[in-house]
Order: sequence, then C-alpha cells, then structure tokens
Amino acid sequence: MELSIEIFILATLAFGLMAYVIGRLHKQLGSIMTILGSLTIFGGIAYLGFTGGLTGETAYLTFTQFEISEFGLFFAIIVSFVFAMVSFFNPFFIKQYKYPALYSMLFMFSLAGAIGVFFSSNLLYLFFFFEFVVWTSLFLIPMGRSKKAASWYYGFSAAGSFMLLFAILMIYNANNGSFHISGIGSVTGTTQIIVFIFMSGAAFTKLGAFPLHIWLPKVLTNAPDPVSAVFSGGLEKLGAFVALLAIVNMGGIGFIIPSIDMYFGQMIIATLGALTIVFGTLMAIRQDDAKKLLAYSSMSNGGYILVGFSMLTSQGVAGGLYHIVAHAIASTAAFLAIAAVARVAGTTKMKELGGIIHKMPVTYMVYLIAIISMAGIPPMGGFISKWMIFQAVIDKGMIFIAIATVFGSIGSFLYVFRPLAALFLGQELPQFKKTVKEAPFFMLLPMIILSLLSVYTGVLPGVIIDFINKIFVDMQLNYNIVMNGFAIEGYTSGIEGVGPSLLNPLLIACVFGVGVFVAFLIFIVLKKSKKIDLMDTYTAGNFVYTEEHLHYSVDFYAPLERLYEKYIHIMKNFYKSLANKVREFGAFMKYFFFTNKPEITVFWIVALMVFLLWGDVL
Amino acid sequence: MIEILMNIGFGLGVATFGFVLQTAMGGINRKIAARLQKRRGPKWYQEFIDIFKLLSKRATSHGWIFDFGVIMALGGIIGTAMFMPITSSIVAFEGYDNFFIFVYLIAVGMLGMAMSASGSGNPLASIGVMRALTTMLAYEVPFMVVVMTIIKLTGTSSLTGIAVAQQTGDFNWFMIALPLGFIVAVMSLMGMLGKKPFETYIAPAEIASGPMVEYGGKQLGMLFIMHEITIFIEVSLFVHLFLGGAETIIMFLIKYFIVYAVLNLVSNVLGRFKIDQVVTFFFKWPLFFAVVQAMIAIHLGWVI
Repeated sequence: MELSIEIFILATLAFGLMAYVIGRLHKQLGSIMTILGSLTIFGGIAYLGFTGGLTGETAYLTFTQFEISEFGLFFAIIVSFVFAMVSFFNPFFIKQYKYPALYSMLFMFSLAGAIGVFFSSNLLYLFFFFEFVVWTSLFLIPMGRSKKAASWYYGFSAAGSFMLLFAILMIYNANNGSFHISGIGSVTGTTQIIVFIFMSGAAFTKLGAFPLHIWLPKVLTNAPDPVSAVFSGGLEKLGAFVALLAIVNMGGIGFIIPSIDMYFGQMIIATLGALTIVFGTLMAIRQDDAKKLLAYSSMSNGGYILVGFSMLTSQGVAGGLYHIVAHAIASTAAFLAIAAVARVAGTTKMKELGGIIHKMPVTYMVYLIAIISMAGIPPMGGFISKWMIFQAVIDKGMIFIAIATVFGSIGSFLYVFRPLAALFLGQELPQFKKTVKEAPFFMLLPMIILSLLSVYTGVLPGVIIDFINKIFVDMQLNYNIVMNGFAIEGYTSGIEGVGPSLLNPLLIACVFGVGVFVAFLIFIVLKKSKKIDLMDTYTAGNFVYTEEHLHYSVDFYAPLERLYEKYIHIMKNFYKSLANKVREFGAFMKYFFFTNKPEITVFWIVALMVFLLWGDVL
Repeated sequence: MIEILMNIGFGLGVATFGFVLQTAMGGINRKIAARLQKRRGPKWYQEFIDIFKLLSKRATSHGWIFDFGVIMALGGIIGTAMFMPITSSIVAFEGYDNFFIFVYLIAVGMLGMAMSASGSGNPLASIGVMRALTTMLAYEVPFMVVVMTIIKLTGTSSLTGIAVAQQTGDFNWFMIALPLGFIVAVMSLMGMLGKKPFETYIAPAEIASGPMVEYGGKQLGMLFIMHEITIFIEVSLFVHLFLGGAETIIMFLIKYFIVYAVLNLVSNVLGRFKIDQVVTFFFKWPLFFAVVQAMIAIHLGWVI
C-alpha cells in the first residue's frame, strides 16, 4: 500500500477539526478522538515507513514539497508515538481545562505541524510547519497553571524562529534561489558559519539548551500535565531535528583544533552542551516541584544529545540519536507517572506528598523504570545511549566535556531519586490514605507500554541501531555502528590481542536477571518476616505520632545545595538586565522619535533638511 | 546454550569467591586494626558468623518495597560481580567485561538499597541515602576522569584489556605511569568503600547507621553480603586498573590484600568529614589533579 505524507497531515488536521466539533458537544468524546487520531497516524506512519509505502507526492497541498528521508521518518515515528501515548491521558484531564474542545483540536494540530517539519523538503515550508507547531502548542500551555509561561515560550520561540528563517534565507541566497533541504550541506565560507550559528540557535531554543533554556522549566512546570509530557518527549525533539541538520549535516565548521581533532564550531556546541548538562543537573537537584525537576532533567538530557552530535563520530552521532529515542520514552513515562499522581493528589510539590506507593504501585514501577533509563543504568535504553556518548567523548580525549557528562550522569541519580524518596516512598501521609487510588486502566496502559519499550530498547538495541545505520546511509555520512551478534562494538582497540570493547545489553540483562533470581532464592528460603507498620520505626527513644515528622522530604539535598545556591540566578539575572537594557534603549528611541515635544520635532525637521540639502550639494 | 549456562555458573562462582574473599579479608583487617590499638580483636571468621547468624533470624518488614529493594540490591551486585575478571584468563564472560558495566550495573544495586531504605519510612535512612548519593557525586567524577585517561591511552574499555596492556609492557602499571591519577584514585576508592574520612553516610553515632537503620535479620544479612561483594568489585576494579591486574590467582590475592589493608590502616587514623566537606574536598584537589594528569597524559603524551 502506498500513501502520501500529505494524506497523513490532512488526516491529522481533519481529526483535529472533528475533535473540536465533537468536543463542543461532549468533552470526553472529543478527547477520545485525539486518541483515535494520533494512534491512526502513528500506526500508519510506522507501518508504511517500515514497509516503504510512504511517498512525498502532493495532490492536494500542491504548494508544499515532501520527501521521505530516513531521519525524518525516525523523528516522525518517535514524536507521533509520544503523542499517541499521551493522548490516552486526555479524557481524564479534559475536565480541568477551560476550553476542552480547543484543547483537543490544538493537540492534533501540533502533531500535524511536527510531521510537516520532519518531511518537508522545502526549507520555507519547513519553517511554515515549524511556526505552525509553535502557534498551536502556544495555546495549549495557558490551559494549565499559569498564563505567563506561554509568554516565555512565545518569546524564546520567536527568537528561535527568526534565527531559523534568517538561516533559511541565507541558504536560499547561497544556493541560487533554491529552498531545497539538501542546500544546507552545500553552503560554504562565511555564509556557512553564519547559517551554522543561526540554525544552532534555533535548535538550542527548541531543545531548551543553555543559554536559551529559561522557557523550558517554566513551560513544563505550568503547562497541563499531559502537555508537559508531549513537550518533553515530543516537541523538544524538533530542536534535536534542527540540531541534526545544523551540526551533523553541515559537517565541520571552522578550523580543526589539532590536539583533539575537533572542528571549532562543533567544539563550541559541545561546550554549550556540557554546560547544559551541568546547569540542568544542578538546578534539577534543588527543585521541590516534581514536574520542574523533570523539566530540568529534560534540559540536561538535551545537552547529552548536543554533545553526542557534536563529536561527529559514529559513536557520538549514533549515541545522540539513540538518546533521542531513549529519552523520549523515559521522559514521557516519567511525566505521565507524575501526571497520574497529580490527578488524584492534586499537587506535584514533593514536600506535600508522601507514601503514594502504597496506593499506586503500578505507577511507581513505571516511574522507577523511567528513571533507571534516564539515569543511564542498565538494562534500560538510556544506558546504551549514554555509553555510546561516553565512548565518543573518551575517543576524542575531551576531558572537560567528559567531566560534564560524568557529572550529569551521577547527578541524575541524585535528582531522579528525589521524587522516588519524597513522593512515592517514605511515610504514608494520612491525607492521602483515603483519597488516593491507582490510576484507571486506560491511563496505566500507555505507561506500561512505555516501560516495556524502555526495557526493550535497553536489551535488544539491534532494531534501532539498524535504523540509525540507515539514517547514516541516507544522509551520506561515513558513519557506521557495527553489531556483533547482540553486542554493540564500541571503540576499536589499538592494542594487539585485545578485541574491540563490546557491550552486550542482552547478556547484561540476563546476568542481572540471574543475580536477582539468586537473591530472590536466598530471600524466599529464609524465615518469613513479620510485617510491621511504617510508623513502627527507630526514633532514638522519642515518641512520634505524626507521619509528617517522620517523613524527610523538604530540602532533601540541603548540604549540597548550600554549596552552589549563590550562583543559580546568573542566567536569569543576565536576561533580566538584558530586558532592562532593551527597555532603556526603547525609551531612548521613543524620546527621540515618537514624541510630541515641539522642539524635538523642529530638531528633526532641521536635521532632515540639512541632510537633504547636503545630499544635493554632494 | 550449554556454554552460556556454564558461563553463568562460572560467574556465580566468581561472585561467591568475591564474597568469601572479602568477608575473610574484612575479618583479617579487623584483627590488624585491633592489634594496632593494642586489642585482641575478633576472630578472622567473625564476619561469617555475624552474617549467618543474621540470615537465620526472623526479621521485621516494612512492606513489599522494603523487601523488593533488598532483592534488587543483592541481585544487582551479584550480577555485577559475575562480570568481574579475577586474573586475565579467569573471567566468566570474555570480552564483555566493559568498564562501564561495573560503574553502572553496580548503580542498580545501590538504587535498590536506597529505595528499600527510603521505603522503611525512617527519616534517618533517607538522610543516609541523601548523604550516600552526595558522596557518590563527589568521588565518582575525579575517578572517572582518571579512568577515562586510562581508556584513552590503552584504547580499550575492557577491563582485561587494560590489565593485559600493563602486563605485556605496553605501559607500566598505571600507578607508576599516572602517579597523580593514582593518588586521586586512592582517595576515590576510600570514598567508594565508605572508609573514614568519607563514611559520613554511615555515621553510626550521628544518624544511627544511616540507610541500615531499620534492618535486621535476613534483610540485614543480605545487605551485608551485598556490601562485601560491592567492596570486592571496587577493590578488584582498582587492582585491574592500576596494579596491572593479575596473571595468577595468588598474585591477585596478594595485590587485593595489600590494597585493602593499606586503605584500612589509613582510614583507622582519620576522623570523619562533614558531608559538605566531602564534596568540597573531592571537587578541589582530586579533581584538579585528575584533570592535570589527563592533560599531561593525553595532550602532552607524558606517560612514565
């Protein structure tokens, strides 16, 4: 079967309109349309993509041009999958919104825009779809907790879009009036450097990378809970897509730094990526809101993607691409788990929650698997991508980048453990003993699917590695990841008699399974323990009867936070003073140009006369 | 299939070997420390007696996550130990002993223990976990920089590969080849083992043994087994990375004993840091030395 990509885009838009119309009549039915729609789109794109049935011909939207590329397909499958999974949550949250029908429509429209971005072969229409995503997702955000977050998003997105547009026009100019996407690789000289800077800027804003990250935590904290998951798992990946075009597709920028064999442009990206990792990690550690914590973790993981891409080696780029998959799955699952808790508990503040695990064990397991993947621990997907990025960084011998990646990796144990300890574990607070119950089946279903995929990507990476190799061929890159049976070959050895370092995720998972089995045997053959209450604990002789007093959740990492809390506002203050300077400059301009004081007007008339007369004389 | 089962059996043998070795070493070192302080000290097999006594006792449990965490902790550590090479030829899964497995698979065990401790509902346990994770952030960064230098120099991240590179004479033992890095690694190893001055997260007099506070009976026994195997993994990692691994099992035992005994003696004469002192300590000199060592070795190529 063959279908054009425009059919999918039109179908998504049609589903959106239907969701709106039905949603006007019945809120829940409208949101159920988003489930049907996004599942259909995901199923169609994934099935036809793998069987080669997708075409780029246009019959209805004749002004646009589409091409089916492997990397576009890669991103489209991931993003539409994230949308499909999150859409299951819509019916349960739809009552909280002021405009439920509009929500369902915009949800589908932003998916349509994202698919358009990934398949457009004409850069101008890529920009059009890019803006379409911004404008549709923009109105999803204020339906949550705060309207102000939307203006932050708009401000940064506008900056990113302008940078992208400017880069596209430069490419157009350099390629003698062609907007084709292949033109990105063929710009040279100074133009190349400018295009690189602007495209990276656009990628950084979308990905929420340092120093353009301010909007990300605000939006992800304040947006409605399912929308946060969509942003973190799906829409942020638009930034990764642009980054792939800019950093990898354009090739090395500037001169080569000989001792580390890196291009200068890529070196800058790697450094900013490393700063993103460190900054995101340090900020995530000190958050009290679980959603904000995960938002900063998304930012830090975006840094890994940038570091991976900028290495320009097989391991690095493949690691970056694999991290996109692993992080999309894990981060969506984590956000959905928190959303499920927020739905019944009414808050995501960790100091107000505790002991949720006793009522929501499945949600807890989903969150646990998600954070194991996010922290890069086997046997989950995040381990493989982080391992490849580590190998690439060591391969280049870049010490400072290596410090940042290790710091981010160990730091992620710290921050992902925080919600685990404070929100799910600890004392069961009395206010949640009655109100909280496990999420309904249709909320658990997508979370369980995501968890299984986290495990699958961590145990059998073969399918995704094959896909990544196809992307390399498609993009005409000279990279390749060699699979040795079930093992991935890393870094090739320089020593005789020692093979390349292999990583066999299946073996690791099996051995881990054997270990757990042995431990379980030891546990089960020994005497059965007596079950006692949570309040029945060692309190050093004190009598404590309130659960809150035995629940350690406020300022969890206080001793560590104290070491750097002086420095956390640096970027915020920078933007604040920048805004002040812009305002002052505006006041200055207003004083001189837009005033009704007669003397100023007379001054300008005189100045203009002088200018004109002078021009006449010369 | 049979081969894989054989390997798994072999791996379990390695884990058991590690447990027996480290428990005995721990007992011997208690004796050494006692003699330094002019005491008699316990018998060398005292730790075996303690563990088996604990395993035989009836315990209390704070719910399923409390038990599940313990199983996951011990399982993760046994799984990690199964990959550990003992000598260059005695290794259960040849070619798959990638360094990163030891750093990250061990984290599953740590996570399991942290989870179980937090699940007990005791705030002292949560404080202990917080301190343990903070300490981990401190010691791991300088250590990884040094190990990355070694991986870059030898061109392999396989642990036997690194050991063989030192044995065949391509490099001196890395304790000689990278002297600054070696000093850093010793400090990090003390942090890993939770020896004074970095035992802030146990701190018995202050937070009642931290993560361990609620355990007793078989759960505590299993965590003791886990602790012994963890130490086995960390010390053998050090032996393979810096002391040239081992050709024979006797050499391995000797090197292992020296490393553990020296660290034990050093830790016995030191006091305990506060938790923020641990962090600032590791991020000051050890990290600085690690970076200097990496710069010298990778960019200038000066390796002794």
